[in-house]
Amino acid sequence: MVTCSADGKPNTTVISQVYYVDETHVALSFQFFSKTIRNVRENPRAFVCVFDIAGQAHWALQLQFERSETTGPVFDAMDMQIEAIASMTGMSGIFKLRAADIYRVLSVERVQHPPWT
Amino acid sequence: MIPGKLVRFLEQYANVAYAGIRDRDLVPFGHRVCGWHVGADQRTMSILVPEEFRERLVDALLHNRELAVTVEEFPSHETYQFKGQYLHHRVAQSEDSEIVERVRRRFVKSLRPLYPEAPVDVLNAFVSPPAVVIEFEVLEIFLQTPGPGAGTRLVPPIES
Repeated sequence: MVTCSADGKPNTTVISQVYYVDETHVALSFQFFSKTIRNVRENPRAFVCVFDIAGQAHWALQLQFERSETTGPVFDAMDMQIEAIASMTGMSGIFKLRAADIYRVLSVERVQHPPWT
Repeated sequence: MIPGKLVRFLEQYANVAYAGIRDRDLVPFGHRVCGWHVGADQRTMSILVPEEFRERLVDALLHNRELAVTVEEFPSHETYQFKGQYLHHRVAQSEDSEIVERVRRRFVKSLRPLYPEAPVDVLNAFVSPPAVVIEFEVLEIFLQTPGPGAGTRLVPPIES
């Protein structure tokens, strides 16, 4: 995930999941008070790239931060997924969901990998 | 200066990286990085970028020079972010392909337990060949391994 501060400094981070909310929204986890969280609250634009190993491609999403949710079905579903991911990756007790940050999807681009030769 | 411990991490263990830039309207973009190496003075770093990400990355860097690169070892999730300013770029050469090959071997080895049935070509293709090499001056380094310490600035050290 890439964000940018109001003074023009980009910030990149690895995130554990991009949660599908509906046709025009995704949710990202807010787990720690990070530079990413500060950036999207001063400059709401964000970029996320998800890897599609089987499809041999990346999906690039342009996003705009809309709101933060601390209760409700999206938060509950993400909380459960994060616990599962933490358990699978040996990070239990480290990953903890503070909020589900809801983003509007502005564009989606498929970036195909060239075939391996 | 990039500490020796981080140089070893970059050269021997890290297996995935991503570069972040922004355009003139402060819109951020991300670009997959297929290789990296540290300059001899340990003040600069070069990233190797595939063709599919080259144009937008170079255009943005020529405009504002701002670059952030996150490098991770999967599956341990040990992660660092290197922030700095673009110096120059050049077309990738054969020796750069050797760097990418080392990263590819580490990356495929890390993914194999998750995708035991995946054809090796599919996993290899995930690390694309390099098209361009971008050198930048590293001004700040942050710890980004998941956990409460994520985001701590390591270089320059925070004054106590």
